[in-house]
Amino acid sequence: MKIAIKTSVITLSALMGTTAFAQDNTLTINSFGGAYEDAHRACIITPFEEETGATVNVVTAYSADAFAQLRAQKDAPQFDVLHFSGGQEIVGASEGLLAPIDAAKLTNAADVYDFAKANLAGGEGPAYSIAAIGLVYNTEALPEAPSKWTDLLNPDYSEHLVLTDISNGYGMLGFLMLNQVQGGDLSNIQPGLDAVTQLLDAGAIIVSTSPEIQQEFAQNDAWIAPYASDYAYTLRKAELPSGFAQGAEGTPASYITANLVAGRPNMDLALKFIDKEISPAAQECFAEALRYSPTNSKAELSSEVAADIAYGEDGVKGLIRFDPATIEANRTAWVEAWNKTIAR
Amino acid sequence: MNDRTESLLLALPGLLLLVLAFFMPIGQMLILSVSGPDGVTLSHFVRFLSDPFYLGILWRTVRLSLVITIICAAIGFPLAYIMARVGPKLRLWLVVMVILPLMTSVVVRTFGWMVLLSRSGMIPEMLRDMGLVGRSFALMQTEAAIVIGMVQVLLPFMTLSILGVITRIDGRLEEAARTMGCSFLQSFRTVVLPLALPGIVAGSLLCFTLSASSFVTPNLLGGTRIQVLAASIYKSVTQTPDWPFAAAQAVILFAGILLVLVPYIKMTGPKDG
Repeated sequence: MKIAIKTSVITLSALMGTTAFAQDNTLTINSFGGAYEDAHRACIITPFEEETGATVNVVTAYSADAFAQLRAQKDAPQFDVLHFSGGQEIVGASEGLLAPIDAAKLTNAADVYDFAKANLAGGEGPAYSIAAIGLVYNTEALPEAPSKWTDLLNPDYSEHLVLTDISNGYGMLGFLMLNQVQGGDLSNIQPGLDAVTQLLDAGAIIVSTSPEIQQEFAQNDAWIAPYASDYAYTLRKAELPSGFAQGAEGTPASYITANLVAGRPNMDLALKFIDKEISPAAQECFAEALRYSPTNSKAELSSEVAADIAYGEDGVKGLIRFDPATIEANRTAWVEAWNKTIAR
Repeated sequence: MNDRTESLLLALPGLLLLVLAFFMPIGQMLILSVSGPDGVTLSHFVRFLSDPFYLGILWRTVRLSLVITIICAAIGFPLAYIMARVGPKLRLWLVVMVILPLMTSVVVRTFGWMVLLSRSGMIPEMLRDMGLVGRSFALMQTEAAIVIGMVQVLLPFMTLSILGVITRIDGRLEEAARTMGCSFLQSFRTVVLPLALPGIVAGSLLCFTLSASSFVTPNLLGGTRIQVLAASIYKSVTQTPDWPFAAAQAVILFAGILLVLVPYIKMTGPKDG
């Protein structure tokens, strides 16, 4: 018994010793799990570890969870770099949980599009990839590629149209865009709801998760769905003929940002990591693997990849970012209004 | 250690589990349902009961549960009667057949229905080929789909409840009725049916309460557009997220089911214990 205790004490102190030692060269970050995390590792984390000799601990946590942890750990933050896709950095920066970033310390910052580094000094980290919401369509069923959001209202498509519930983040952005082209804005979503009512009456289908979109395309003769650019690629990998088109009225986008957590010992290393994420090589790799839009103007993509996403000066010009703070503030009311609209 | 402490000790794990897994969550739900930003409030209940949208969901839940229960009884009663009257070997096979659906996971079973009922599924395709329905006809995401899926799940509960009662009915009663000049249907109606009533009531109660609170099958087969109360509770928790309102809805569902239990206890209590 005594020996056992002794051994465990020794092991424990040894463990603590290594942690204390490792801390100098260790980063803790979050990623989003699944295919995303795989690509994150392959494109950024592993190359970064090899270049710097640092160790990166990856915690799988979606934006909202990660943000909740950041808030809970206010006095003793445990993450060095946090990735958000829902605009959490705006709130985090205003609450002082995220540290301002000096653009001069990021070697790649100069090449990043302005919109993706709008408030570095305020603490909102740079966007390193963008999920663009546009029109995912069946290239065999549609005689020509859709070109604008109002194409969704084409009566010929209604029976083959798949809408996504706004409890889904991309569904929300697609809906807000539909609302906008129908004359609404963030203070008035009624035009969008009216359009949804009209589409549903004409035979459109609503799903609540992305795998259901695939199911609709595979089994139920779906032709068109407002959704994220990466999903057309997912469908194609499942051997469904599909393409992605940006609507002429604009492309709502979900920014995935890399943020520097305030009050951590390793901020210089963390900055290097963020710098890696906005490098052309990392973004090319990400676009190749998942079809997210790069934010670095120097990222070069093959034409095959480029066709799937919003790419280049022209491609990203039409990107729209609906204010995440306004969406958050209205979410409860909007979801209820939406549920009432779609209920039969 | 006397007998009393011994039996108490034996019952302790069960009691603990009941307190931990049942009374505590229910109590918490009750508290949550009346808690608002400024202390105790009934506003969540008012919001539910004054909104036609939510009343519609409640009504759909009750209506669908009734329909499902009636269909289960209509299928289950004759089935149970036959099962009671055939030989023991055949009865065993029938029982196995009836409870077989319960042996697969509810999700898998529901996905099976999704394959059959979807727009390009077997059943709509067949109806379309026969020219009975239009091109866009689908059974998925309709109330009919919910009823079909739920009846399959709940039929065993109804059949087995009735079977237990019918096997205990003395076969000579029926023979007596027949020799006194009753036709088969008459003896069925005047002898078997009244005697089997406790079983039918018990089965109906099971079916009704289970279908009123079911979530997976209605949600998958009905889709997001056809909401029942359980789905609405789920949405309130995960989407908005509004826990007190979800708790209020859960209390309403709970109270509704308790209300159904009262007449049952009155109806069957004194006679059958």
